[in-house]
Amino acid sequence: MKKLYSFFKSMRFGLILLVLIAICSVIGSIIPQDKEVSWYVQNYQDLHGVILLCKAHRIFQSWYFIVLLALLSLNLLLCTVTRLRMLLSTRSSPDPATYSRDEAHLTETGMSILHEHMKKMHCRESRYGDAVIYKKNSFGRYGTFITHLSILLTVIFGAAALYLPTTIDQTCVPGEAITMEDGTKIAVDSFHIENESGDLDYASKVTVTLPNGKQSDLTEVSVNHPLSFGEYKIYQQTYGTAGSVTVRNTDTDGVDTLTLTDQCFLSIDGNNGMWYEAIYPGYIQEEDETITLITSTTGRYEDPVYQVLLSSDGVNTPVLAFPGEKLTVYNMEFTFNDPVEYPGLRIKHTPKLINALLIAVFVLMIIGLYITFFLQPVLVKVDDTGYAVGGPKPDGMRIELLALLENEQVEEENDEC
Amino acid sequence: MLNIVFFSALVLYFLCSVCQFVASALKKDKFGKIAFAIFLIAFLLHTGYLIARGIIAKRLPMSNQFEFATTFAWGISLLLIILRKKYDAEWITVVAMPAAALILSYAALQPMEIKELMPALRSVWFGFHIGSAAIAYSAFIIAGGASLRYLLLARKNAPDNAVKLNQMDYLSYRLIALGFLFLTITILVGAIWAEQAWSSFWTWDPKEVWALITWIVYAVYLHLHLRKKNQKMLAWFAIIAVPVVLFTFVGVNSLMPGMHSYG
Repeated sequence: MKKLYSFFKSMRFGLILLVLIAICSVIGSIIPQDKEVSWYVQNYQDLHGVILLCKAHRIFQSWYFIVLLALLSLNLLLCTVTRLRMLLSTRSSPDPATYSRDEAHLTETGMSILHEHMKKMHCRESRYGDAVIYKKNSFGRYGTFITHLSILLTVIFGAAALYLPTTIDQTCVPGEAITMEDGTKIAVDSFHIENESGDLDYASKVTVTLPNGKQSDLTEVSVNHPLSFGEYKIYQQTYGTAGSVTVRNTDTDGVDTLTLTDQCFLSIDGNNGMWYEAIYPGYIQEEDETITLITSTTGRYEDPVYQVLLSSDGVNTPVLAFPGEKLTVYNMEFTFNDPVEYPGLRIKHTPKLINALLIAVFVLMIIGLYITFFLQPVLVKVDDTGYAVGGPKPDGMRIELLALLENEQVEEENDEC
Repeated sequence: MLNIVFFSALVLYFLCSVCQFVASALKKDKFGKIAFAIFLIAFLLHTGYLIARGIIAKRLPMSNQFEFATTFAWGISLLLIILRKKYDAEWITVVAMPAAALILSYAALQPMEIKELMPALRSVWFGFHIGSAAIAYSAFIIAGGASLRYLLLARKNAPDNAVKLNQMDYLSYRLIALGFLFLTITILVGAIWAEQAWSSFWTWDPKEVWALITWIVYAVYLHLHLRKKNQKMLAWFAIIAVPVVLFTFVGVNSLMPGMHSYG
């Protein structure tokens, strides 16, 4: 049992897991993920059986990848606990008698250079018998503990942030609202594709009303600027352009304006009326007066054209209509308006706390890494016979001092020459 | 005019690399000093080019492959200057100068026109995310170069080299630690940005996956370095890791279309 525990907390086990995660990641990046099974059958004729059997097409959701992450979390947990125990059981400054002593004997000049260098580094100075002890960055010993703890928490909170939220994509015409299952209403007031200076800037003005009646301000939602309200986050995701037709009943003079996002049949009696097919952003009129429709849908609809089918007494007549134009079928008059641009919103319902915790552990990880690598404890003992370097990671300081004293020695020899 | 500045910097980087190579081969200090002087002129032109491009574009010049490679090469040059000053490690120029020249050559092969920043990239995180990636990649490349130099020096087997070899190994380790810190910042800032733009902290996009792979590769290096058993093996590790960095930078964008395909 003890052996198993030692293995699970060992660096060797952690490194094996990291390498396996890296191998899975390489496979996951080479084989396109989350496509239909038929796609793999078509594109990997010889290998599709192996890919599907090994779940390499959904490798990041596969059981073995999740097991690897779980084992890595266990390794990190045990590693963090071990480090905490070590921190609690050892003193912040080890006994100077335990400092290594493999450095050369110092000359008087070397000694004064060393003292000067340590003072320049803003080390704290204290005495230990006849020796002078220089200390700095005692806090550095917490670095690896903080780093490992933050990585563990990142895996845990990261998994929660990936799997807990529910996300839906929904289009909504300006002036209308989306009602969520819990009664929350997300109303789109307006949407534009270009800003005032004509640059592309997809943005919707949105209000969110929670079931308790609490309402957000009218807020602009654009790419990189979601609206966060309650446990909802609203993102500007896509956009579309819909037709707009005003229908008038010539008998009753009743008028209604309809926004047309999909193909539909507008009729009073179910037989005569207008089939709405599509709206196009523009057209090219050839010399022989034939019209070629532009189907590219990027950006604004400069010269919109409606493609409709007028249905009268069983006869269907295809017609191209332009904004401002009126068409009449029996007692219905159709007036074509400028098209309406509408947003596609992504609505995420997520516990706010998870995001906040995850960002907090991100910050902790950066602090931990900085302390680990750049605030390493400095412990140097200098006495009449030479100097010694102590602390958990003495190598850096040792190399730095060796280089310093070697340079000075060379300079001294040159001066003597 | 702007292109002239860019190509002048590129030519000067190549020239100083050749001078430095001659200085090292013939052991002539004078050539080394000339090389570094040319390098400083190239660096000034390079810096001026980036500033001018940023002013014209009214944003940080990091939005596509050309701009990122140019910033990346600038990062290598800046690190070289800092390292020479801080560690008095003149030998670092032998690897860093050609590295800057080659990365800038790659940039020269990319479309250079200044384009408006697309809405998805208009974010406060843009500079932090891409700037930290440039620093991380620069540190990894120089660490790889330092390790190469380590192996070349280790072949000589001279006892006098022991201190220098230890210094090189330590410098390589410090550079990888610096790169690792900045790669972590790149990934974490990218995750926060992704949550704001795409609603999810992590989407397993190829660029994200390869950034994670690079992170793992260097995490393994840093752990192995704790054991201090085989410096030569670590030097090989740091060299072999460089293609992973380059693939994350160039290969992913060219071969694996995904949500990061802006360039």
